[in-house]
Amino acid sequence: MRRKWLVAAWTAAVGAGLVLAFVYGIAVAYYEVFPFSLLKFVQKSNARFRGDSAEGKKLFGSLCSQCHGVDGSGAEGPSLIRPRLSRAADDEALRRIIVDGIENGRMPPVRQTTTKEQNDLIAYVRALGRTTPTEAKGNARRGREVYDRLGCSSCHIMNGDGTAVGPELTRIAQNRGQDYLRQALIDPASALPSGTTDVSRGFDEFLPVRLVTRGGREIRGMRVNEDTFTIQIRDTENQFHSFEKLDLLELEQSPRESLMPSLKGRITEPEIDDLVAYLSDPAGAQ
Amino acid sequence: MRLRILLVLLAFCATPATAQVSYQRIVHADEAPGDWLTYSGNYSSHRFSRLNQINAANVGQLRPAWVYQVQHPTGTVQTSPIVANGIMYLTEPGSGVTALDARTGRPIWTFTPMLPPRPLTRVNRGVAILDDTVFVGTVAAHLIALDARSGAVRWDVVVEDYNRDYYITSAPLAIDGRIVVGVAGGDHGTRGFLDAYDPKTGKLVWRTYTVPAPGEPGSETWKGDSYKTGGAPTWLTGSYDPSLNLLYWGTGNPGPLWNGDERPGDNLYSCSLLALDPRDGTIKWHFQFTPGDTHDWDANQIPVLFDSVVNGRARKLVATANRNGFYYVLDRETGEFLTGVPFVKQTWAERLEPDGRPVMTDQAHPSVQGTLTYPAVGSAANWWSPTYSPLTRFFYQPAGESGSTYFKGEIKYERGTPFLGGGVRHVAPEERWGAIRALEATTGKLQWEFRTHSPPAAGLLSTAGGLIFGGTPEGDFFALDAAAGKPLWHFQVGSEVRANPISFGIDGKQYVAIAAGNAVFAFALP
Repeated sequence: MRRKWLVAAWTAAVGAGLVLAFVYGIAVAYYEVFPFSLLKFVQKSNARFRGDSAEGKKLFGSLCSQCHGVDGSGAEGPSLIRPRLSRAADDEALRRIIVDGIENGRMPPVRQTTTKEQNDLIAYVRALGRTTPTEAKGNARRGREVYDRLGCSSCHIMNGDGTAVGPELTRIAQNRGQDYLRQALIDPASALPSGTTDVSRGFDEFLPVRLVTRGGREIRGMRVNEDTFTIQIRDTENQFHSFEKLDLLELEQSPRESLMPSLKGRITEPEIDDLVAYLSDPAGAQ
Repeated sequence: MRLRILLVLLAFCATPATAQVSYQRIVHADEAPGDWLTYSGNYSSHRFSRLNQINAANVGQLRPAWVYQVQHPTGTVQTSPIVANGIMYLTEPGSGVTALDARTGRPIWTFTPMLPPRPLTRVNRGVAILDDTVFVGTVAAHLIALDARSGAVRWDVVVEDYNRDYYITSAPLAIDGRIVVGVAGGDHGTRGFLDAYDPKTGKLVWRTYTVPAPGEPGSETWKGDSYKTGGAPTWLTGSYDPSLNLLYWGTGNPGPLWNGDERPGDNLYSCSLLALDPRDGTIKWHFQFTPGDTHDWDANQIPVLFDSVVNGRARKLVATANRNGFYYVLDRETGEFLTGVPFVKQTWAERLEPDGRPVMTDQAHPSVQGTLTYPAVGSAANWWSPTYSPLTRFFYQPAGESGSTYFKGEIKYERGTPFLGGGVRHVAPEERWGAIRALEATTGKLQWEFRTHSPPAAGLLSTAGGLIFGGTPEGDFFALDAAAGKPLWHFQVGSEVRANPISFGIDGKQYVAIAAGNAVFAFALP
């Protein structure tokens, strides 16, 4: 009789234990109670570790290259070799796109990826845009003096000051690495940005154009936009013009040129370093 | 009294009878140009309208009559609508179907299908109609029959398992007693096929695989088990010749896409045009444009049927502008190769043999370091439709001039991911351009071209008003003179035009419609 009680008590205890374990299991899985929350925390910490760009390149080849091109230069999908990924300002935003795709755009999620795979892909995509930050060699304060002396503000806006002929520079370092900035100073034409916004996708931006209207007027400037029938430009006086192509006698475009003069030979190497440092960290010049 | 009830009943019965889009009506689509009853306008896929109210003299006054914004704007609308009895049936991104009053653009009903949680695409290009039923293929690889008046589901069948990466983006083709539907998914390691279903019940009548199994004819062109992931999908709507009773359907590239090492041989019936018997799906003949393709040069482009005299002999022909850069004309009774000429710059083939087989150059294959080859991967020709005008007897093609550097990489089949084995890099944006080209249909000789800023990704419509309508990625919808290619009118729709135009008429007024961005635009004269 007593033994029977004992068995019953054990059965009840084990049963209750199982039920508790089950409920706890559900709670862990669905409501993220401890230790699942801890696991998530660990995962999140892992996510902060930098991925391996070489591994990312391999993954990119199998998962992304069909739309973004084998080297990220774009195919059906947009090029990722560009200063700024409009939908992925930071690594976490890029991660969300890799995981979920772009709902209202055209990018499907490709497959489930591990956090490490995501990190590797992020590392590779960031390397593509040459947006990886590196330590500046120069001095930002001196760089600002160079910027002022050269009159860069006559064509660029920095911290709200200047004239918008060329690209706005306030946050250029978020989009461009130091190597790119250096190249843009020495050989501007080699660094014409291509397709950074929805308006200019697939185009070289700041493309120099020369045209002659039916009235014989010659205008030089930069292309703002273009389609089969029309072209929009800003002239060297920064005035906007729009033309029907059929109304033009001549239309000449120079994709290998830039309106910006090269600074090579005009300033010293250390001054270029300083200018890059200023562009990389305008606040550091304060 | 009884007689009156009978008359009333008869009157009601008569309404559905006239509303039906019978098979015979589609056969004679050219004689009722107010309607647009099948994907490409008629079974010959001419995408030609006999309406001539809008013509070269007045097209300059063309203006929007209405704009319909889709309910679920999740990607460019690529639909080519059907119009029957004043009702327009179009598909929306995500495989939904909407019926509109084609005179005002006001919706009548919308059907939204269940989608998988992570759809591979949201593209859909249109419906088919037969009798009083509308048919749509979905990205979940279902084929769904809807009541044309209400959008209510008549039947819903699974064509293939979406989890095996099969999906449907193209409009089905409705013929006598058959709804023929092709599948996409060829770049995901699937095995392509073409299906025919009973329009009344949704029962599968036949399935023809486009990659033969071991022992079947053509299986010798595949090594080992490579046929299982052989691709050759049927992802675009085909054409039909009722008098020969033959279906014409293009197939896509073999898998893996860029690396052919594990599938040496021709890989039949990839990159081919198939002529099938619609009764049982038997392949009557095939013609392969690109044997053992490694460039993603699908041959799904619309096959256009027309008759002409070749070398003094009247022949029934089928023509197609292929993604490999050649324009082909075949005898559509026998599949005999008659003509093949490049319609864009190409560097992969030295010439075509007398039987149409290409002799390849040393720039013909992707390599580890990359091989620059023309044409580019997807823009010489693609799903955007050509048009054939029986008046000018020209074949009009939206042609992309571009090259790609093709890379060969490792092959690894993994379910749920693209089966590629390499990749591409395009030439610089400024080196890519496009043109609308008019080819003499029988010979492929260039008659005129109209240059576009970038490679077009929109189809063409020709009309008896002597016009060609087309679109550009920069949002221009335009009209050209069909005889000489002179631009006559253009309208900026505000988003890329990535769809095929159609024309229809209501109450004596001709409309031209095009999908662009998140909307469908209908244009008419004031």
